Amino acid sequence: MTLSQYFGLVDVQARMLLKADAAKFKLGILWWFLEPLIWVCVFYVVFNMILDSGRKGGDFVLFLAVGKFAFIWFSKTVIQASGAIIAGQGLIGKIDVPKSLFPMSAIHESLYRQSTIYLLLFVILLLGGVSPGLGWLWLLPIALTTYLMIIGCGFIAACLVCVVRDFQKFIPLGMTFLLFTSGIFWDVRTLGDTQKMEMLLWVNPLAFIIDAHRQALIHLTAPDLLHLAVIALGSVVAIVLSLWYMRRYSKLIALQVLT
Amino acid sequence: MQANPETVMLELRDVSLNFRTSKGTFDHGVHHVLRSVSFQLFENETLGIIGRNGVGKTTMLRIMAGILAPTSGEVLTHPGKTASLLTIGLGHKPDLSGRDNALLSAMLQGASKQQALTYLEEIKAFSELGDSFEEPVKTYSSGMKSRLGFTTALLTHVDILLVDEILSVGDAEFRKKAEKAMKDRICGDQTVVFVSHSEGQITDLCDRVLWIDQGRVCAAGEPGEVLDLYRASMR
Repeated sequence: MTLSQYFGLVDVQARMLLKADAAKFKLGILWWFLEPLIWVCVFYVVFNMILDSGRKGGDFVLFLAVGKFAFIWFSKTVIQASGAIIAGQGLIGKIDVPKSLFPMSAIHESLYRQSTIYLLLFVILLLGGVSPGLGWLWLLPIALTTYLMIIGCGFIAACLVCVVRDFQKFIPLGMTFLLFTSGIFWDVRTLGDTQKMEMLLWVNPLAFIIDAHRQALIHLTAPDLLHLAVIALGSVVAIVLSLWYMRRYSKLIALQVLT
Repeated sequence: MQANPETVMLELRDVSLNFRTSKGTFDHGVHHVLRSVSFQLFENETLGIIGRNGVGKTTMLRIMAGILAPTSGEVLTHPGKTASLLTIGLGHKPDLSGRDNALLSAMLQGASKQQALTYLEEIKAFSELGDSFEEPVKTYSSGMKSRLGFTTALLTHVDILLVDEILSVGDAEFRKKAEKAMKDRICGDQTVVFVSHSEGQITDLCDRVLWIDQGRVCAAGEPGEVLDLYRASMR
């Protein structure tokens, strides 16, 4: 399969997944927007109204929306990609295709979805009183790095699930762990201990990515570019290694999936 | 077209395939699907494979198509020749229309998007689905699904066509049309491996037959002789 065929197929598969998903529900593509918005509402009620986050209501909504929207992109996509090869069982038994096609289609589908969610986010920011500025352009390298990180994690998760199916049980647990440790409803910058904050941002790249989203979109400031570059590079290494594994052991993966 | 024994299109040498099952059944948890299978496939011939259910016929086709690798032994293909399974209903998504599914199937079989788009009207016409072609596949009857599946599968253009028991599709009228299309393909300039339970089809279409039992080749040769042996074993 040539590269252009591969990407052509990824694109068509992704569009078809979107179409099929929209056709399944009465509210169709409205769900793309509704789901993250509902999440923000739930978090707002719990952490601002019940637990009292100590922030002004409007600010907290922006803070939550930016963090949660970025987190949902990561978590939903990695979960989806992790099961994609197994879900492609029917096809794998019939044709010899690159196994990365399955997680890549799922990741590409969510890229389409996320691009509209970013548009929604800009509307929320404008309504929330953030004046647009050139600082928003920092979103480009940040979103690109997030995308690379999603591909890296999604590919690795997909390979692991093929090797040991039980791994699929751990992925949602891991996402819940990340939900609590990445600073979605609390601010990593309010951790009194700077050393602890630095450590958290380096150990958990997702916490850095979410903070970087807030820095760029709410405060219009640049993220730590070196840190961002390290995450991007690490993701590229993960992508290359998992692609190598999926190519090298393509037939073994097929046997594991089929038996 | 006559088989050309000069050119070997594909050869299996001593091919075995085992896999571990999670439960400790079989031979210490190892399931032997194929045991030392060897044979050659010549250019333009139609090779039939017969055998009871679960003896490894589909696995053999999957190895020939490059989907699975043998645990031991070699699979040799003539350089530059491709082999692929003729499969019905490749990647059918029930929420999508017949048209979208056909597009996806054609692309999965190696067509570019432009090529695939040009096939669609042909698929619509041959499958006789009419306006239903634009409806979601979940609204189709099983006959309609197999019409769509067979028609898209027929687009596969490869050097070695591997066919796994598919000539029982749709109603009588469509089956006749499908069989004719398949026969035209098989009798033309195409190397085919054909798995079937229908002795009639095997005698009609095949130049040579392999009889597989318990992962081994029990007999190979003229369709008449091999079918006699096979029938005798069933008694």
